[in-house]
Amino acid sequence: MLLMFPILLLFIPGMAWGFSDPSIILPGGHRPETPMEVLFYSSLGIVFGGTMCAVLMAFDGVSKERASGVLEVKLAQPMSRLSQTLALVHGTSIAVIIPVTILVLISAVIIRYRMGVWPELIDLVIHIIATGLILIWYTLFTLIASSKAREQGTAMAFGVGIWFFFTFLWALVTSMVAFASGIAIGQDNDSSWIALEGALDLFSPNGVYHHILETRLSGVQRGVSDWQIWIMAIAWTVLPLWMLAKRMEDLVP
Amino acid sequence: MAEVVLQLVGASCRHYISAPTLTKPWKKIRGPGIPKIDLALHRGTILGLVGPNGAGKTTLLRMLAGVLPLQKGTAVFTSLKGGQTIERELSTSVELRKIIGHMPEQVRWQGRKTVHDAMIEIAAMRGSSEHRILGLIKLVGLNSRIDSPLDELSQGMRQRLTLATALLGSPDILLLDEPFNGLDPVAAQAFTQLLQQLSEKGVSIVISSHQVSGLIGIIDRIALLHRGQLLIEGEIKSVEKELELSDRFDLTGTSQPPSSKLIEKLGMELLESETEQDSWQMQLKGNPDGVLKKLIGEGIEVESWQPHAPDLVEMLCSSTGLRVEDVGLEITSSAFLPLINREVEEE
Repeated sequence: MLLMFPILLLFIPGMAWGFSDPSIILPGGHRPETPMEVLFYSSLGIVFGGTMCAVLMAFDGVSKERASGVLEVKLAQPMSRLSQTLALVHGTSIAVIIPVTILVLISAVIIRYRMGVWPELIDLVIHIIATGLILIWYTLFTLIASSKAREQGTAMAFGVGIWFFFTFLWALVTSMVAFASGIAIGQDNDSSWIALEGALDLFSPNGVYHHILETRLSGVQRGVSDWQIWIMAIAWTVLPLWMLAKRMEDLVP
Repeated sequence: MAEVVLQLVGASCRHYISAPTLTKPWKKIRGPGIPKIDLALHRGTILGLVGPNGAGKTTLLRMLAGVLPLQKGTAVFTSLKGGQTIERELSTSVELRKIIGHMPEQVRWQGRKTVHDAMIEIAAMRGSSEHRILGLIKLVGLNSRIDSPLDELSQGMRQRLTLATALLGSPDILLLDEPFNGLDPVAAQAFTQLLQQLSEKGVSIVISSHQVSGLIGIIDRIALLHRGQLLIEGEIKSVEKELELSDRFDLTGTSQPPSSKLIEKLGMELLESETEQDSWQMQLKGNPDGVLKKLIGEGIEVESWQPHAPDLVEMLCSSTGLRVEDVGLEITSSAFLPLINREVEEE
């Protein structure tokens, strides 16, 4: 975490500093006007840096102790494996969530300094909840990989692979589905493209994260209801947690 | 005989192994493990669990420790309360883990965490107090290393730390998987004394090893395990007798060895003999009463006379009725021991 902290510092408050510049004009001529818009844009730093931190924190969460034999010592204690799993998820994710939340709060102060207005409390709370969720999701994916892998290299490769897939390759998946559906790719004014992209984003943790943040932005319509977003957020939390718990239950040290 | 503290009845645990086929690449079948075992642990005794590599010692210890589930069978725990014995079937692995301390083989504690912090982490899972933690660190001789990072510990120190974690809950049963690996002779001696003290306090101890000789003098009972099956279990003397490995003696001497006629005359059987230029050694079997005196009386220069401790190969050969020469050195060969029927492989 110490190694990643400078990157997080650059990505989260750094982006908030940049996007809250009163004279900034984004490509396409857009200009962030509200504190929530700045938070939304600076969430890119969380998608790139925060999730990578979660992967780096969790990749040896199970495999290291399994390889060293310490896991067997822990599994021999009178504590249910479910409780041990929950403790592991909690401990690993909170180690990333706390510093990232502090940086988000610093971002809010930066926005106040640069724009002269505080983000609304509800916006900030939703932003922190969404950020916490995406960090938990990546922690869960990587812990599942760590529990499957006998050695840490495989767990690392799997965790980074998942991160790479949802962060960089998901646009390719969206494009392919759009192409197969006969929808013009990347047309911002095409409602069928926007609807398809919005629907497909529900199947990506990064997409759900941005959907949650977009619920606090005015004028964003991507054809997805709030309840669908929250259902998918719950699904992205519960399903990997269930998979990890099941995996830990059957794990032979 | 000491009363039974824990009894496994018809217990089974077999590992699932991948057996992919063209149509079912995910197919798994039940592979090796413990197909069925009945085993009783006695209060205040030390049981040596011996067997060759792959015999199932670690799997059995993990079953006893509640780390692996009992797929079939039951575990019955007998406790003493107010002079009364209470039998209780342990229905969950957590219940089993409450009464058992488990020391896995060769745990490689690592990281920047200190010995004390590592103990605190494990103790929190048992609800043990700080006082207990400090007491155990002192007991295993890690007091001077209490604030050392785990990365700086030697393998012997790591073994001691693992032992301390196993003792955290004041367990009724202590399971030790190859505990002497990595310990220097002085530490091994201290470790043996500690085990004997715990045994005197009523703790039932199980030590797994693939070397019988290292356990002689420590254990009260022995259990021989091979390919997941318990071949024999009991007090050392009775096991030796049952396997016809008792009343054997190793002799060494100088000048002329006793002739086979003389040995026969003394009522002994010659099992092995080796003669060098000025010395000889042999192994005899039979009633030893007066034999040594008679040998000396016949002018034989005997240097040493000691009971022969059986080794694992001898015990395996004796319990299966096969000879080492028949099977070569491959004691885990599938042809070595006829297995009991493991039933049809299940998916």
